[in-house]
Amino acid sequence: MRTTWWRHLVAGVAIAFSLFPVVYIVSTAFNADQSLSASSLVPRDVTLANFRELLSGHTTSAGGRTLEIPYVRWFANSLLVATAAALLTVALGALAAYAFSRFRFRGRRMGMMTLLLIQMFPVFLAIVAIYLILLQTGDIFPFLGLNTLTGLIVVYLGGAMGVNVWLMKGFFDTIPAELDESARVDGATPAQIFWGVVLPLAAPVLAVVGLISFITTLNEFLIAGTLLQTMERQTLPVGMQFFVSQQYAEEWGTFAAGVLLAAIPVVVLFMALQRFIVQGLTRGAVKG
Amino acid sequence: MAPGAPATPLPLGLLPRLLAAFSGTTGLVIKLVFLSLANAMAVWAATVLVRDSRWIALSVLVAATLAIDSVYLSRRAVPLKFLVPGSVFLIAFSVVPVAYNVNVAFTNWSTGHLLAKEEAIEGIERSYLAPPADGRSYLMAPARDGRGQLVLILVDEADGSTFVGSRVGLEPLRRDAVEIDENGAIVGTEGYQLLEADELASLDTDLSAYTVPTKDGAAIRPEGFETAVELRPTLRYEADTDTFVRIEDGTVFRDNGKGSFVAASGEELEPGWKTRVGVENFTRLLKDPLVRKPFFRVFVWTFVFAGATVVASFALGLFLAIALNLPGLRFQRTYRSLLIVPYAVPAFLSLLVWRGLLNDEFGLVNRLLPFDVPWLFDPAWARVSVILVSLWLTFPYFFLVSLGALQSIPSELVEAARVDGAGPWQVFRRITFPLLLVAVAPLLIASFAFNFNNFNNIYLLTAGGPQASDQIVAGSTDILISYTWKLAFEAGKGQDYGLASAVSIVIFLIIASISALSFWRSRSLEEMR
Repeated sequence: MRTTWWRHLVAGVAIAFSLFPVVYIVSTAFNADQSLSASSLVPRDVTLANFRELLSGHTTSAGGRTLEIPYVRWFANSLLVATAAALLTVALGALAAYAFSRFRFRGRRMGMMTLLLIQMFPVFLAIVAIYLILLQTGDIFPFLGLNTLTGLIVVYLGGAMGVNVWLMKGFFDTIPAELDESARVDGATPAQIFWGVVLPLAAPVLAVVGLISFITTLNEFLIAGTLLQTMERQTLPVGMQFFVSQQYAEEWGTFAAGVLLAAIPVVVLFMALQRFIVQGLTRGAVKG
Repeated sequence: MAPGAPATPLPLGLLPRLLAAFSGTTGLVIKLVFLSLANAMAVWAATVLVRDSRWIALSVLVAATLAIDSVYLSRRAVPLKFLVPGSVFLIAFSVVPVAYNVNVAFTNWSTGHLLAKEEAIEGIERSYLAPPADGRSYLMAPARDGRGQLVLILVDEADGSTFVGSRVGLEPLRRDAVEIDENGAIVGTEGYQLLEADELASLDTDLSAYTVPTKDGAAIRPEGFETAVELRPTLRYEADTDTFVRIEDGTVFRDNGKGSFVAASGEELEPGWKTRVGVENFTRLLKDPLVRKPFFRVFVWTFVFAGATVVASFALGLFLAIALNLPGLRFQRTYRSLLIVPYAVPAFLSLLVWRGLLNDEFGLVNRLLPFDVPWLFDPAWARVSVILVSLWLTFPYFFLVSLGALQSIPSELVEAARVDGAGPWQVFRRITFPLLLVAVAPLLIASFAFNFNNFNNIYLLTAGGPQASDQIVAGSTDILISYTWKLAFEAGKGQDYGLASAVSIVIFLIIASISALSFWRSRSLEEMR
């Protein structure tokens, strides 16, 4: 037999490197001592106190300082924004991809090229302009102004077209046109063919795009951090960054509990669907 | 290539039937509801725009709404019906911001240049005031009028006449309405509520900026809490020559074409105004020593950071993939699952955790190591830390990708080389690696472009720091995008929207060249049917 021990050794070292921050944060979340300096890879006393404090909405350090931490609110905001952005991204992208895949019209090639060109200028590069635009739309539609979740979602949708449309169009192209044809013979309109024939068959690619968009939005800090200004409106990245930028060394246990609660659902989702995600990623989507 | 390309005929499941049901009359109803909703919003926006007399915005709104309505109400233009929803967002939040951004890059929009010119002239007239030699001074008491507005009760110290001053102007007050105690302080007024001491303290800044305009551009302003003085303008604006003249010595301040009134001596009046300055922001990047040096440093570091992250992650990922890519290796699946955990955890959380792990004083890494490393405090070490953490975040992706690519290389090729007497290293160098690189190259480029703008990895770990000096916005680990963001939004050092937009255009040019390279390589444009 060939020697394989070195492969196991390499794997062991790499896994240690990969997992030690994870083990560390789990241990810290359950550790009775809150402070950063007492954190370790193995908790001394296991307790749920950190979670209780986190969910209570404020945290008190050993020094007696109290800090408002609307963690549940941040969590809900993040979930709302990421879910809405993912669903709408899929919807808008699928509609456009369908047009590019099934119709032959003037300007089609141009349209697809334009999408690629615009995609090269990531939305967040224009953050100064976005900030100034939302400042002004807020005068007309308060719900689309600065410091609103709807405003943030709408800004994210500005990046919905682009690589996603290419990805979905590629998949739609593999769905036989004969299916459309037979539906059309039966009297279906293009809208009916889209909703009734193409979309159900394209479920895998819709899931991939939705998931990648969900995770990317969940991670987004630059735009959210610029637009959302009050604690109650912030998403998890913005809120947790604020948490850490405070005197975090003393409330490290509570922070760790927050990290754990936020990470678990995403990790489970990712692991369950990793096959699909990786397929999407190798075709041009980049996860944040 | 496509996973599970459908070969089966239309499944008669619940979902398609449900969806089909929504497309008949119901579909029409849904369409009309959405369309009326969009129109209602447009009408509402129009009323606001009319109120503010923003006619250009209004005409754009009307044209866009009519266009959308005609697309959905006509029977033709079917593809457009599918393209409009996404395009509306694309235009509103991608194309327009980009165009706006380009526009801002050619202005001097920054702290001190935020206003329109007329507003700046008013601002100068309001702020360049001084007490004249023969000026009046007043006893003063801040008070609230019947509607709760802040006003000043004033008693002329020369003749004892009494006034009430507001932001609108000065009104005389009956003498017996003001009650003055033996120390000469105002203790009561008829019709006005004097402010208490604790309310006064909280109004400090409001009060010191409170100005009561009087005749000929002069004004009365509080000095402390109990007295006020009359101020007269020191500058005179001459509309026909568009200049300010200092009354005292006749110095002329002219519009310098860059948004400021400047005297021959170089003295500048504040505030300035927002105006177009041509390519000045771009020339500043190359010439202004205060901008050029940090910009150049950030520019180089951005390439180093993105390049090092991609190369290191690919090298580690590929190495692990080779080590674990042995058919029948025990625990292979377990190893694979554990190794991609860093990739599955949301990056923003990992970055914040790493910030704690690398804390110089209390961090676990320094406590485990036999010596202390200034991970985030020392400029050089901070750069090492940023790359190290980025490696941790990125190598699982390249591990997965390399594993997939390795497994798709036909084994006959490797076998054939073996038969011809090639050693394992030769097989790798001549066969496996070149083939793998063909598959992975576009992903390497994409990852480089992504990390080039990886704001999170920098900002959440080091916030761009450590700071080089108080004068310079850019910290030691700032990359171009975080530098841009700081220029625009970091308060304290002044905000420079114009320069920030110029830098973001530079980033765009770089990213565009990288993408062009990527297209050229993958020739994805040729595949377009």
